[in-house]
Amino acid sequence: MLKIENLSVSYGSVRALSDVDLEVLGDGILHGVIGPNGAGKSTLLDAVCGRRRPVAGTVHYRNEDITRRSVAWRRRQGMARSFQRTSVFQELTVHEQLHLVAQHLGDNRLDDVIEVMDLAGYLHQKAGRIAYGVQRRVDVALALIGRPHLLLLDEPGAGLSAAETLHLFEHLRDLVRERKIAAVVVEHDVDAVFACCGKVTVLDLGRHLATGTPQEIRADHRVVAAYLGTAA
Amino acid sequence: MSNRTTTAASERVAPLGAMGGSSLRVPLTLVAVAIVVVVGAVAPTRFAGDFVLRLANEGLLLGMLALSVAFLMNQAGLVALGAASIYGGSGLLFAIAMNDWNLPPAWALCAAFLIIVVYATVLGALIVRTNPLAFMMLTLAAGEMISHAVMLEALRDYTGGADGLVVSFKGTVFGMEAADFASPARFWVVMWVAAWLSGLALWAVGRSRLGAILRAVRENEERMRFSGFDTYLPRLIAYVLVNIVAAVAGLLHVLNAGFVSPESLGISVSTNSLVAALMGGIAGSVGPLLGGVIFSFAQDEFGARGLTQLLTGIAIVVFIVVFPRGVVGGLSSMAWLRKLAFGGRRETS
Repeated sequence: MLKIENLSVSYGSVRALSDVDLEVLGDGILHGVIGPNGAGKSTLLDAVCGRRRPVAGTVHYRNEDITRRSVAWRRRQGMARSFQRTSVFQELTVHEQLHLVAQHLGDNRLDDVIEVMDLAGYLHQKAGRIAYGVQRRVDVALALIGRPHLLLLDEPGAGLSAAETLHLFEHLRDLVRERKIAAVVVEHDVDAVFACCGKVTVLDLGRHLATGTPQEIRADHRVVAAYLGTAA
Repeated sequence: MSNRTTTAASERVAPLGAMGGSSLRVPLTLVAVAIVVVVGAVAPTRFAGDFVLRLANEGLLLGMLALSVAFLMNQAGLVALGAASIYGGSGLLFAIAMNDWNLPPAWALCAAFLIIVVYATVLGALIVRTNPLAFMMLTLAAGEMISHAVMLEALRDYTGGADGLVVSFKGTVFGMEAADFASPARFWVVMWVAAWLSGLALWAVGRSRLGAILRAVRENEERMRFSGFDTYLPRLIAYVLVNIVAAVAGLLHVLNAGFVSPESLGISVSTNSLVAALMGGIAGSVGPLLGGVIFSFAQDEFGARGLTQLLTGIAIVVFIVVFPRGVVGGLSSMAWLRKLAFGGRRETS
């Protein structure tokens, strides 16, 4: 589904990602990406979705090199993302924004998304006036519209309690499994990642450190030393 | 999240842009609008003198220009400071087409209109991609370039330079002779209808899917791109649309005045239209048109006292402090007026 080879991204003179390789299969498994602050997790998603151009390396999506493709093109091909900071339309009602995107992407199963993200009670409210946790769900719902093949979720649990984050991850895990799609989730909540992700990649200082099952990652002494030391 | 009851949610909510209300409300609204249009077109010509009508005509012309500025601000979040180059430019092209290209008046109108629309499209294609601040400065720069180009000695034979151009034609344009356009009473009917048509057209665009996309792009362009939308084309379409309204206003202005001056392309006309839009309120079509009329009458009153600039400045400050959302926005927020207009129902968009 997604294959990243030798991906490098720079912010001016600062190298945020260096020669990162990653493969994500469309097998209905949540793929978590963890790492300390500044590891390049969000940058990785930015480069995959086209928000930031890599300085080297390639991104292949469904066997096509999309490194130079636009954001809108990638979205129309079924690659969707949510943001670390909630990115919803504050002045539109929840229904207005979901409907607008669903209409554009030709998705007539908006009810499914509304149900999965439990947004029925908020449809008539402007997104800017609902609780932050609900806004996070609207953000994810916007990404779910159009039945994407690949979901890129940047800290979907940010601003939520540990219990809410775990709940959201369980929902996402079921959804991804049900639809047999691929999903890459960047998250700081390691417990939620280990509980729900079938595969985990660890980044550290812009470099790929390890990829494996949660058990393998927990047992990896490099990961423990670099990141999990205090969390594991 | 655990509550997974089936909602059939989209069946229970109105589609985007739906008007809502009972089945009787729409015909009643249409009847009320029709009455206002007819009475508004006829009554002033019976009861108001030429002087007042002339001021009202100027006010509606400025109001149409303000309408174009306000629509772009409200829907796309873009402030255009070069509206006058379209407004005055269309009139100037009309004069050139008749005087130098010897086109009949109707053809000259069409030629001027098409050239200005092509210019707006090319300019828009270059500048709508930029951020709002850069867009504002680029429209200002383009407008200033045009207004200075008109004054170039090398182009004086065409543009008339600082003297401007007289526009007189024989025959008819849309069934009206030059004397009809010059008559305040007859021109009032034309202006009234043109203002209504422009207002309704932009109102309809604002309520359409394009309007919804424009507002969403204004609010969160990045999210729109990540939702698969092209954010460039809708803004370009909006830019061309508002310039069509500005061009029509410019052509009507020159038909009425019989003269096109270089001042009509200047920054002062652009800023006047911006002020009129802010005074009337940018969130709709009525506000900018009303703002234009208020501005026109106020300018006359202030001019009579010999303190035009000072009093205009004070008036702008007072208006913006007292009515931060413009006169129409301020009035519509008053509970009793809202009840009268919407029957106690709150407008949702």
